[in-house]
Amino acid sequence: MIYAKKKEMIAMLLAGGQGSRLGVLTKDVAKPAVPFGGKYRIIDFPLSNCVNSGIDTIGVLTQYQPLELNTYIGNGQPWDLDRINGGVSILPPYVKGKAGEWYKGTANAILQNSNFIEMYHPDYVLVLSGDHVYKMNYELMLDFHKETNADCTIAVIQVPFEEANRFGVMSTDQNRQVYEFQEKPEDPKSNLASMGVYIFNWEKLKDYLIEDDNDPNSENDFGKNVIPNMLNAGERLFAYTYGGYWKDVGTIESLWEANMDILDPNVPLKLNDPPWKIYARNAGQPPHYIGEHAELKNCSISEGCMIYGKVDHSIIFPSVTIGNNAIVSNSIIMPNVSIGEGAVIEYAIIGENAIIEQGATVGCINTAKLSGEHREITVIGQDIRIGAKNSIPAGEMVEFSLPGKEPLR
Amino acid sequence: MNVLGIIFSYAERDNLRELTKPRTLASLPIGGKYRMIDFILSNFVNSNIFDVSIITKNNYHSLIDHVGSGKEWDLTRKIGGLRVLTPFASPDAKGNGIYNSRVEALSYNMNSIKRSRAEYVIMTNCSTIYNIDFEELLRFHVDRRADITAVYTNNIQDPSLLAYDAPFYHVNDSGRIEDVRLFSEENGRRIDDYRSANGENEPINKSCGLGVFVIRKSLLDSLIADAMAYGRLDFYRDILQRLAGSLNIQGYEYQKYFMGIDSISSYMRANLKLLDVEIRNKVFENVVYTKVKDSVPAEYVSGCVVKNSIISDGCRIEGTIENCVLSRGVKIAKDSIVRNSVIMQNTTIMENVNLNYVILDKDVIVRENRKLSGHETFPVVIEKATIV
Repeated sequence: MIYAKKKEMIAMLLAGGQGSRLGVLTKDVAKPAVPFGGKYRIIDFPLSNCVNSGIDTIGVLTQYQPLELNTYIGNGQPWDLDRINGGVSILPPYVKGKAGEWYKGTANAILQNSNFIEMYHPDYVLVLSGDHVYKMNYELMLDFHKETNADCTIAVIQVPFEEANRFGVMSTDQNRQVYEFQEKPEDPKSNLASMGVYIFNWEKLKDYLIEDDNDPNSENDFGKNVIPNMLNAGERLFAYTYGGYWKDVGTIESLWEANMDILDPNVPLKLNDPPWKIYARNAGQPPHYIGEHAELKNCSISEGCMIYGKVDHSIIFPSVTIGNNAIVSNSIIMPNVSIGEGAVIEYAIIGENAIIEQGATVGCINTAKLSGEHREITVIGQDIRIGAKNSIPAGEMVEFSLPGKEPLR
Repeated sequence: MNVLGIIFSYAERDNLRELTKPRTLASLPIGGKYRMIDFILSNFVNSNIFDVSIITKNNYHSLIDHVGSGKEWDLTRKIGGLRVLTPFASPDAKGNGIYNSRVEALSYNMNSIKRSRAEYVIMTNCSTIYNIDFEELLRFHVDRRADITAVYTNNIQDPSLLAYDAPFYHVNDSGRIEDVRLFSEENGRRIDDYRSANGENEPINKSCGLGVFVIRKSLLDSLIADAMAYGRLDFYRDILQRLAGSLNIQGYEYQKYFMGIDSISSYMRANLKLLDVEIRNKVFENVVYTKVKDSVPAEYVSGCVVKNSIISDGCRIEGTIENCVLSRGVKIAKDSIVRNSVIMQNTTIMENVNLNYVILDKDVIVRENRKLSGHETFPVVIEKATIV
């Protein structure tokens, strides 16, 4: 057993999910590594929240397509997590004795890394997931946890009743103590939805994880097994209400919406917030250049871009080139994308390194535009080339490169 | 690489007025998010030189803030790494530890220089942006069995981007520098005479020094000790010029793009030159590292008009900008029009302001309805943290 300096609380960040509902965007990368908000990746939010909340020891549990995520996190320096005591550790599943196994569920993933946690002798363990966009001070949540003398505190957010069936919902008494928990209920009794952020007393959690592991029928999941078990056994579970912006970016729609929220001054997701910066690994590119005939409206543009065309209500990631007379509207253009002259991109997410050749159209509807119509988001996968003058109809998800309609001269 | 890089953070003479009052030349912001020293440090790192000392003289506070431990340039190393050498007053030092010339500066810092494991030294100033492969330069130095190798450039199309105390070298057919003319003076003409007020400059067909030298560390040590003993304190006059006959001083021709900055007008010109895509590609041919500030991407609000400009992270543009270079965190309010200007970090321009050929230093606030206008060769300069 290795002993490190004791920490009051360490964070365990579950980053192994595939995020299959993001389709081609998570073909080669884990969901937490999906680019977000012009220069970030989703995992920057929980990581930065930890650092800003004074948590300097974080285990990142990876499983699905970890290469890009591992490279991105590196030694943790961009988040100030290159520490002598603690810092960030990548925790993949590993072989133990003769047997080795994948992480069977969120709870099992934590259990398999109990040696890592024990090393720091923490009083509390913060369990986070790597697929939400929000800014939250976990220190305040810990204060609440201590004040209520809880065994487990679950961060909750109020959602509309009609959406509550997508979440784990909590019924609480006037002291915020949880007396009932329903996982994705058809008939929700409360609209306090779990954000997937938990603080546990480590000694207590350890017992329940071992108990859960001994149950062959368990799915080894926090929401489905561990939390209900704790509640049934009469442990003190409390709900900590979070009032800020929080979004699960698990689907194409919600990923697009959350990005667009950055451009909306009425949405309380403020990224330009010096005391609560979101840190990211930097592209190291020169400042971007805006050409003579470019037209920009309500957009966010990052380093290394060269913009000659028209950009409206869009998020442009680093090192993107948008050619003359190209039109990009209501879209998310991920790093290193090249958009040729005269190409038109509407309501789309263009994956990293994709090439949209000149005159190609993505996500366009030929019918007259109705006001307030619902547009399907078109997605172009990573490293895909859309040939000149080719046209991708709205709502498509493109996984393979497509040739041009005319031979290129 | 077996080289110690030595960077002089200050210029012996410069005409940057308000811009170098709060800071040494090395930490002068340029090209949006960079400082002058970023280009030189990146040159060393891109040439696999990870042992670099910066010699400072005064107002180096902002430089130390900027470089820190050298992490962002990958210069936090166990072997070598970055060292910032500041003047120090020791009880037995002559004077008060402040040096007035390159020779004195090198002499006072020789103990630190000697501690480096490197066999060779590459010395450079901070006033020039260039892209030299120092590995190739060292190979040249060794192949030619040179005592000193001095980097020069031929045929300067734009004398306004050459330091005006740059020396002219007489390079013979075998590449040896036979004579050195100081302060660019030859036949009664100095670099100033090739520049003209209307911005149309006459090309110089001469070999002009770029202030970059390669020398074996042990030779540097003895040349400096010698020069100090005789009170010969000018590196160019007392070492290069005086010893051109007896030492093998080789000239290495640099043929790529460079920009020297030592005056307000050359500062303005260099920034605006970066708007040219070809020049930008040359300057940023290799990665240029700088301190990371974690600002958000630039925000463009509906109603903004942006033409031919360089814009850094953290900016928020509501007004009109044309031919401008903006550092991080600049705010331009609506109905303001800014043309041909260089705006440094965190400066705010409020509503209905009109600016043309203006250099705004860091943390400046330009209040509503102000109008400021300069000329390309004589821009208006607003000092750091001024409220206009």
